[in-house]
Amino acid sequence: MQLEDRGGASVRRRLAAAACVLLAAGAPGAASGQSATPAAATGEAAVKWRFEGSGLLYGEQSRANVVEPVARITRLFSSGQALSAQFTLDAITGASPTGAMPSGTVQTTTSASGQTSTTAANAVPTHPFHDLRGALDLQWVRPIGSLVTITAGGHASREKDYQSLGSHGTLSVDLLHRLTTVTLGGAVYHDGVFPVGGTPVGLADSTVAKHFGTQAKDVTTALAGVSQVLSRRWMLGVTASRTRETGYLTEPYKIVSVLDPTTGLPTGQLTENRPSNRMRNDVLTSSVFHFDSDVFYLSHRYYWDDWRIHSNTLDIKVRHDISQDMWIQPHVRGYEQSSAQFFVFGLTHGPPASLPTYASADDRLGPLRSVTLGATYGFRVPGQPGEFTIRGEYMYQWVSGQPAGPSLQQNNGENENGGTAGGTGGGSVSGTSIGSLLAGYTVQF
Amino acid sequence: MSPRTRLAWGLVLLLAAMAASGCATVRPWDRDLLAEKKMRFVPVPLEAAADDHIYFSTEGSTGGMDAAGGGCGCN
Repeated sequence: MQLEDRGGASVRRRLAAAACVLLAAGAPGAASGQSATPAAATGEAAVKWRFEGSGLLYGEQSRANVVEPVARITRLFSSGQALSAQFTLDAITGASPTGAMPSGTVQTTTSASGQTSTTAANAVPTHPFHDLRGALDLQWVRPIGSLVTITAGGHASREKDYQSLGSHGTLSVDLLHRLTTVTLGGAVYHDGVFPVGGTPVGLADSTVAKHFGTQAKDVTTALAGVSQVLSRRWMLGVTASRTRETGYLTEPYKIVSVLDPTTGLPTGQLTENRPSNRMRNDVLTSSVFHFDSDVFYLSHRYYWDDWRIHSNTLDIKVRHDISQDMWIQPHVRGYEQSSAQFFVFGLTHGPPASLPTYASADDRLGPLRSVTLGATYGFRVPGQPGEFTIRGEYMYQWVSGQPAGPSLQQNNGENENGGTAGGTGGGSVSGTSIGSLLAGYTVQF
Repeated sequence: MSPRTRLAWGLVLLLAAMAASGCATVRPWDRDLLAEKKMRFVPVPLEAAADDHIYFSTEGSTGGMDAAGGGCGCN
């Protein structure tokens, strides 16, 4: 009998893995590959703390810019428990589309907050804004026995016109020789919206008095997932979640253009109005495959909600180790969604007659498409602890079927709410370029 | 067949394949590659968190692997 020579390095690796598995006896979740991994599970029993920090620079072409520093500190206990706190700051400046349509002439629009802005001919109307958001997230991971892990967390964030308080929890159980992990979870958020200048009445013009005070928004999520080790190189996971949102779901600063039915030119504007309930569903399928040296990540998410938005997201990453201390990871993402049933580019019927109950011209509820290209470079500095990562990404986002100008608007049909809805084939493809740079550092000590 | 029915059948087939593969045991000493940090579904959590925030604020849909979302007035 001839024994296969697998090489000394492979034997060492397998012995290390066996030791790792023994150490992980009190720390389940090896198959899940999710969330924070306790120190014992990574064979780093001496490690007591982990620090993760990142800085995000995000910019949309002629629109919003965001600077977001994040710091997370995690205390790793020898029992496998982990307690973490994350601090996030968002500084946002720039301009946001109002929802009004471009016109062939200079256009003056008034946002729902009362801000007036002038837009050049054929440009998308925007209004300037700035905001500062602070967020605190706490999370506790606790193994129970060798096969069960619970995770519990809380969230609080505050910005100029929005506040969010929430909690979440998951239960993960390892089954079938720890090759299968089943996860159940849920989250509850109680948010408050208090728009600058008051909350506008839906589908009304700027002369209608606004409400003052806080509008409630409640979000409840249930989640179930299973991940499976398929082979020595391959893991597959499926996670499904259902989220119910109730309360004030309208964007208080967005408006809808009122169009002349003959010329298609904007003649006025109304505030937008959305339903006060939304049921979101999604199924995420993820695969991680280890080639000889590279790792291939593939995921697909199918999403649908009762506003009739359906979306598909395909995400591909390949990690290539350049050396022991350096790696690079190209990334491609594609996204497409159908429009909400009450999405309109503009309303052809003015008040008081024939107004729909709900209408929004927010691109994010329209037939949106986006493509993202990017790459992450990770490296360690010789003699220094921790790992650095730098990621640059470019995203191009566009609305399919958007009318190119007044002359094209009459080619589009009217939706069930009486607004001008975009077709899928006609119209222009005028998109937005978005760039982001993310630098991160992780160290355990 | 509606998209939702196709999705349901796809999931049933996927879960059946996963269950069947559970019969093919990967022994503990064969889990060297699986034990690597880069074999997690989310190998860089802060990067994934930044992505969630970016896509939540720029697109109409959301959801994923985690029950934690983090409220934001950005959408």
